Amino acid sequence: MKKQTYIYSSFERFWHWSQALLIFFLMLTGFEIHSSFELFGYENAVNWHNIASWTFLVLIIFAIFWHFTTGEWKQYRPSLKLVKEQFQYYVSGIFKGSPHPTHKTRYTKFNPLQRLIYLGLKLLVIPIQVITGFIYLSYLNPEHSITEGGLRTIAVFHTIGAFSLIAFVIAHIYLTTTGEKILTSIKAMITGWEVVDIDKKEEYLTNMRKAVENSTAGYYRINTEGKFVQVNNAWLLLYGYSNESEILGQHFSVTRTEDKVKDLKNIFDKVLTGKKVLAKHVVRKNKDGSLGYHILSANPIFENEKVIGMEGFIVDISSIEIDTLQMYNTVRSSSAGYYRINKDGYFEDVNDAWLKMYKCEDKNQVIGKHYSLSRKEEDMKELEEIVKHVMTGDIISGRIATRKCKDESQGKHLLSANPIYKKGEIVGMEGFIIDITE
Amino acid sequence: MFKTPKSRTAFIKTLATFAFILLPWLFAFIYVKYLKDDTQEHEISVTYSKSDNIQHVDHSKFEILKQKFESPQDVTEACLSCHNKTAEDIMNSSHWNWEKKDIMDGKEVVIGKKNLPNNFCIGIRSNEKLCSKCHAGYGWKDEHFNFSKSKNIDCLICHDNTGKYKKSSPGKPMQGSGLPEPDIDLSAIASHVGETTKENCGSCHFSGGGGNNVKHGDLESALTDKKISIRENAFATNEGIESQTQTGPVDVHMSVDGKNMNCTECHKTSHHNISGNMYTVSSSNENPVTCEQCHGASPHSQKILNTHYNTIACQTCHIPVYAKVNPTTVLWDWSTAGNQKKGSHSEEEGEMINDTQKIFHAKHGNMTKVKNAKPDYIWFNGNAHLHMFDDKITSDTVVMNKLYGSYEDHINPTDPLHPSKIYPVKIMRGKQPYDTENKTLIQPNNVGPKGSGAFWADFDKQKSFKIGMDSIGLPYSGKYDYINTESYWPLNHMVSSSENALSCKECHSRDGRLASLQGFYIPGRDRSNIVEYLGIILIIGSILGVLIHALIRFYSSKKK
Repeated sequence: MKKQTYIYSSFERFWHWSQALLIFFLMLTGFEIHSSFELFGYENAVNWHNIASWTFLVLIIFAIFWHFTTGEWKQYRPSLKLVKEQFQYYVSGIFKGSPHPTHKTRYTKFNPLQRLIYLGLKLLVIPIQVITGFIYLSYLNPEHSITEGGLRTIAVFHTIGAFSLIAFVIAHIYLTTTGEKILTSIKAMITGWEVVDIDKKEEYLTNMRKAVENSTAGYYRINTEGKFVQVNNAWLLLYGYSNESEILGQHFSVTRTEDKVKDLKNIFDKVLTGKKVLAKHVVRKNKDGSLGYHILSANPIFENEKVIGMEGFIVDISSIEIDTLQMYNTVRSSSAGYYRINKDGYFEDVNDAWLKMYKCEDKNQVIGKHYSLSRKEEDMKELEEIVKHVMTGDIISGRIATRKCKDESQGKHLLSANPIYKKGEIVGMEGFIIDITE
Repeated sequence: MFKTPKSRTAFIKTLATFAFILLPWLFAFIYVKYLKDDTQEHEISVTYSKSDNIQHVDHSKFEILKQKFESPQDVTEACLSCHNKTAEDIMNSSHWNWEKKDIMDGKEVVIGKKNLPNNFCIGIRSNEKLCSKCHAGYGWKDEHFNFSKSKNIDCLICHDNTGKYKKSSPGKPMQGSGLPEPDIDLSAIASHVGETTKENCGSCHFSGGGGNNVKHGDLESALTDKKISIRENAFATNEGIESQTQTGPVDVHMSVDGKNMNCTECHKTSHHNISGNMYTVSSSNENPVTCEQCHGASPHSQKILNTHYNTIACQTCHIPVYAKVNPTTVLWDWSTAGNQKKGSHSEEEGEMINDTQKIFHAKHGNMTKVKNAKPDYIWFNGNAHLHMFDDKITSDTVVMNKLYGSYEDHINPTDPLHPSKIYPVKIMRGKQPYDTENKTLIQPNNVGPKGSGAFWADFDKQKSFKIGMDSIGLPYSGKYDYINTESYWPLNHMVSSSENALSCKECHSRDGRLASLQGFYIPGRDRSNIVEYLGIILIIGSILGVLIHALIRFYSSKKK
């Protein structure tokens, strides 16, 4: 898979192109000093060659620093793996239109041949030029000269380095044309962006990291002492903290009301034994003391096969929780009676209005009882009929029914009934009754 | 142009990156092209104070100098009557003795014009009557001259301020032997004596070898010529390198169009002991005159020029050419002397062609003179070996004064006080008689009246050689031949103005001025041929490889 990727940072491009210009300039002035041609005038060539070489030295120091601080030096680690294949590609595969034998990714920008050549450049040719250049300069002060009588050797090595650089530059410029298109590589070196292969491992890691960073699910990490060591932004947002310093190092008990701390402690203890906890529906205590609802997951963190903490995600469900609550309250306080019976015909729930209509004082007088208690014998058959239909999936509404109250008196009401589904199966019946007595 | 704000930022970022890359080059270019002022004259810092021109003493007021002088010795006596310690100083000086103690090859020697051969007129012995025309004394005509007789000192030759004092040549009615011309008004001159001028010095030092500029090449009457003004003449430098045009004074220090300095302003003098050496008569660097004594060791504004000071003498760059006005003799072939061609004149002076003039004098033989000459260059450490008359000849060419020095000596100087540097020299080539049996150079007797056996009177070589060799106490076998000789004349005068100094390219090029100095590496001159060939093969190979590869790629992609 390929992707438009930012592979050359600003500094890398600055360094590359400055180095390119300096090498060209040093080449021109250097070979004029070598009497290969006349261009700037000998005196200018000497002075400018010196200035350019000092500039180059500063650039090299910056570049070395950059390589180490960014870890980009790893791009130049030599490897003999695939060198043969890469070479074969250049001498034959490229003509047949074979694919590149190696993949260019953000993390392996250079093919094995490039690695070897660039490493040789950085560790051999450029150091030779710098060192011989310095010794060359020292000859201007013979009393401080590093070697005695050997300017010829130094100069010859400097010349060899210069010729090597020319050959490198020729090959380097030509090989830039062997990318996807002729100008692909040069364009990449100018803009920094190129369509390159994705390194699956690195990509996965990056995506995971980003997923945690950008997720709306809160991430937390707690050490074995039960103290927070890491949370993400979403976590902070959910709990109403403004930054992580407010929570890191705190014990998890601050995230629960007193009565709920024990639940979390149980989860924590379980996880520390190495077990995972799937979605738990919990009530949290926010920073300001308000409550919130979320689903919590928790898993142990292992290091060297030892549990060193607990981590997991929280998904906020406060809004869902409130909707349900409202609905519940509506049903609870409605003047219509609500009932729910299971598939065997026993009451599971009724509301206050229902109790009032049936002249019952307490829920417990009804829950767990069979629905037959709500009818006289002569009305029983009708209800049984309704239950039978609903249990097969029918919905009944607006049926006039005659109820038997607790005190054996009777009343009339409109009845609705619908099946209750759980995992696709009918597990019971519920509905409302509206009193129409007189 | 930009699809998203993000690509717009990326574009600006790239633009900024390249601005960072290119701006320094742009600034450098603008600075070099428009801002840097090369024409600004570099101030030459000189540690030097010109002696004041106040005349301390007006000699015309002294009664003793107003008398009518019968003889020049009387003038000397008058001088010494006041300057009563000066005779001692004079008689210790080489201007009087024509010899001095010196160190040669670690040994103390006494050398000077008195006992050394040269490859111009060869030697003074038996020829004193003429040669002592330049002696600061009266009456040196043979070996019997009394060097301890103070009244024989010639004060006037150095202190005459009228310009009218002249010494005579031998022959009737003149007397020679260092005596003045007979019709000179000694009284007028004696009352107009003063500090030595360059005319006084030049009266001898410009005309060594028998004529103006014959010997030195860088010392001649043009340096005192008031008519000399800014001159312009092109001279050829290296082949293939453009001729350079020399403008400016003949000598920035001495000549009238230059600073018009006196000799003694550099040749500091104490007790009539004048500083400076000429290595045709000196073998060590005792009491030298140097450029540094005024200019210091780092007079340039550019460091790279100052660092050249370690290997290159100032003179090398600053005397790009000598014999700028009048020619100097570079070849004297005595073997043809005495050849009187039938039907032709005894003297033939050819035209000056390409700054070269061929001359034949029956008295002297063949000579070559050159003008606007390019110096030769040698490593020199301030020490020399001088060939003496009694030294045996062992090679085809006798070097009259071997100037010691080498590149190695520069790196690891045997004498740390005098490390070798590259100096410009005039090489004088001679062909002169030697005794084939005794293997010594021959001192001929040239000067004398007809019938005395002197060569220039009788043209009898055998007689002349015999008299000459007797005069220096060496045997003459009667068998002679001619041998090539060389003498080296370090050039110190005719310093050109700085804009005419050698440019880098003069030496830093394949066949530059230092082409003959081998055994060390000069950037721009030297290279390793193997590396050069391999390097060119590498470059051509790279280009060909790339081209062939590209062609195959092009055609194979076309096929598809």
